[in-house]
Amino acid sequence: MKLFVFKAKDKYIGIESEYIYRIIDDYKITPVCLTPKCYAGLIFYRGELFDVINIRLLLGYSGHLENTYDEPVENQRIIIIKWHNKKLAVIPDEIIGMIWIDGNYEGLNSYRHENKDINLIKPDYIWKKLLELSYGHH
Amino acid sequence: MDITKYEKIFDQESRKYLKELEDLLMAVEKDLSNLALWAEIHGKIHSIKGMARALSLTKISDLCHLMEDWCLNFQQGTRISSPAAVQALFDGSNFLGYLVSNKGWIDSFEDQKLYNNLISKFEKIPDEPSKSSSLTETVPALASYQSPAITIDHVKIKYSFIEELLGLTQEIQLLAKKFPSFLNEQMSSGLKNWIGHYTALMKVLYFQLTQLRLMTVGDFADLFLKSIRDIAKENNKSVNVEIIGSEIQADITLLERLREPLIHIFRNCIAHGIETVEERTNLGKNVNGKITIEAKSEKENLYIKIRDDGRGINKSLIINHLKDKQLMTDEEIGRMSEEELYNIILSPEFSSSSTTTELSGRGIGMNVVAQSIDYLGGSLSISSDSGKGTEFIIKLPLSLSIIYAIAFSIGKHTLAIPTLHVKSISNIDIFSDNDRKSYYDIKKVLGVAENKKSSYSVLNLKYANDQSTINQTTTDQATTDQPTNDGKESCRHLLVDNIIGNRPLMVLPVGDLLSGVKLFSGIGIMENGDIALLLDLDNLPPQ
Repeated sequence: MKLFVFKAKDKYIGIESEYIYRIIDDYKITPVCLTPKCYAGLIFYRGELFDVINIRLLLGYSGHLENTYDEPVENQRIIIIKWHNKKLAVIPDEIIGMIWIDGNYEGLNSYRHENKDINLIKPDYIWKKLLELSYGHH
Repeated sequence: MDITKYEKIFDQESRKYLKELEDLLMAVEKDLSNLALWAEIHGKIHSIKGMARALSLTKISDLCHLMEDWCLNFQQGTRISSPAAVQALFDGSNFLGYLVSNKGWIDSFEDQKLYNNLISKFEKIPDEPSKSSSLTETVPALASYQSPAITIDHVKIKYSFIEELLGLTQEIQLLAKKFPSFLNEQMSSGLKNWIGHYTALMKVLYFQLTQLRLMTVGDFADLFLKSIRDIAKENNKSVNVEIIGSEIQADITLLERLREPLIHIFRNCIAHGIETVEERTNLGKNVNGKITIEAKSEKENLYIKIRDDGRGINKSLIINHLKDKQLMTDEEIGRMSEEELYNIILSPEFSSSSTTTELSGRGIGMNVVAQSIDYLGGSLSISSDSGKGTEFIIKLPLSLSIIYAIAFSIGKHTLAIPTLHVKSISNIDIFSDNDRKSYYDIKKVLGVAENKKSSYSVLNLKYANDQSTINQTTTDQATTDQPTNDGKESCRHLLVDNIIGNRPLMVLPVGDLLSGVKLFSGIGIMENGDIALLLDLDNLPPQ
């Protein structure tokens, strides 16, 4: 099993590599008003639109906050994830790389690799968290 | 498709092939032993023959057939070509031109004689160069046929040029709405009439230009006939195509993006749906398989149905997949509707599984097809009847996927409003909060911080249900730059920072997350790839 690992909020996060569609950098993110703090904006990449999420802000979410992305974000590395019929772009704090893990990790929440605890996250979990946030006027 | 449509296609295609044939003959004349050129010449004549046969134009197909034999001699190197042989083929090509124009008929005794001479010439094996006579043997000019005068009734233009023209006409329309304010008495009735007439003509011009973007489904489907024939041939099958609803028109950009998905569906139908000739004979089916392309428009949607009369989808493959890969129980599968079951084929899990090879075998999953249709704001569903065939139903928004919109900025945000809803644009200076009160403060609504400035633009909007703008006289239009308090809620004067311009936008649906904002009707992509969010005017809160 291959795991794609990145860092966010001092934590190592691993996502199954088959869901990673592309890693892009230096791509213009268009901010969108009335969105939660973690919603960085939209990108139009190779004919498709992606919501861009700052994963650190998403995981550190505490109530509805004003969007801090007032200006286009530049020089960011963006991880594009595609799974089932969904897609999402994620801004990590840092990209670590790919690791191989042995055995069945189904049901595990974390995996220890080189003295680092890697939190195993499924894209559906990120999506669920995003849907819990409020958008627009409330 | 009726026969006249076939004739039209035959005429257009044959002329194209004849022109290419002439060019090739000119090239081979300078390079007589170029076998590749001879193969190409053979191919062009063969294409004309094939089409002529389909329409039972025997004079054309017979002549082509003999000309092909001649080419084969040179192509295979069994005979050495000569300038006289090339000239004979030129003569044959000229005569084919005459026959194509005359729908395969010969209408004079002299021309019949010429035809007979050509036939008897091509029936013989081409002479070797040493024995060949000079060019004087050329067939005399046709009695009732002269080379057709070159008339141009079709021109090729770039689609982007049409887009540019549309943009320009819309800008002129906007300019007309910004006509400077004149007092009624300052305008002569002649001038008023002139402006009225001018504006009306502009509207007609714009409407006519929008028609250029439309294409009939029939013409679009014709583009696939050759591919369907080729795929059928590759698979050693025979397929007839029926087109229903060919007169329905749709945006060319929308149809263009359907090309790839449709080819994949046709491949599926032919390779895995339609049975071989032997199987069909055993089943008592017509030996020729049938693919029906049916277009239908309903409300705001265009439906394209692709149907084959093949064996249908093997349900047990899907059930096995659900059991083995998705670990579903018989009970869970039993609860699924037929539609849900067939639509499993469209899921990426199914496409990546081994069962795919038995259903599509092309390496590209049906989920990619479903995704590309989803991307156009549409949907794909499948129904199938064992032994009778499969139907793929594509549902698409019929309305144009490219719209014109006035793009503008507020703070760092780029937004847009469809040009249709913009009555006029003006510039104003605002110095106090009191001045601001007469306008709709979109910045406040969208929570965008105010930057200290005094110069703004105002977008004077009209709504779809606002009839007041339709019957206005030009004098009224001249005064609408100022905010009016006519009590009509459907009129709004939006205060914005800068106008970017009237831009063609490709509109994509708002995703699951942003639909929660409830103020955007779509995401517009500008020509340079920049994103502009389309404001949903109906959902703007009152101020």
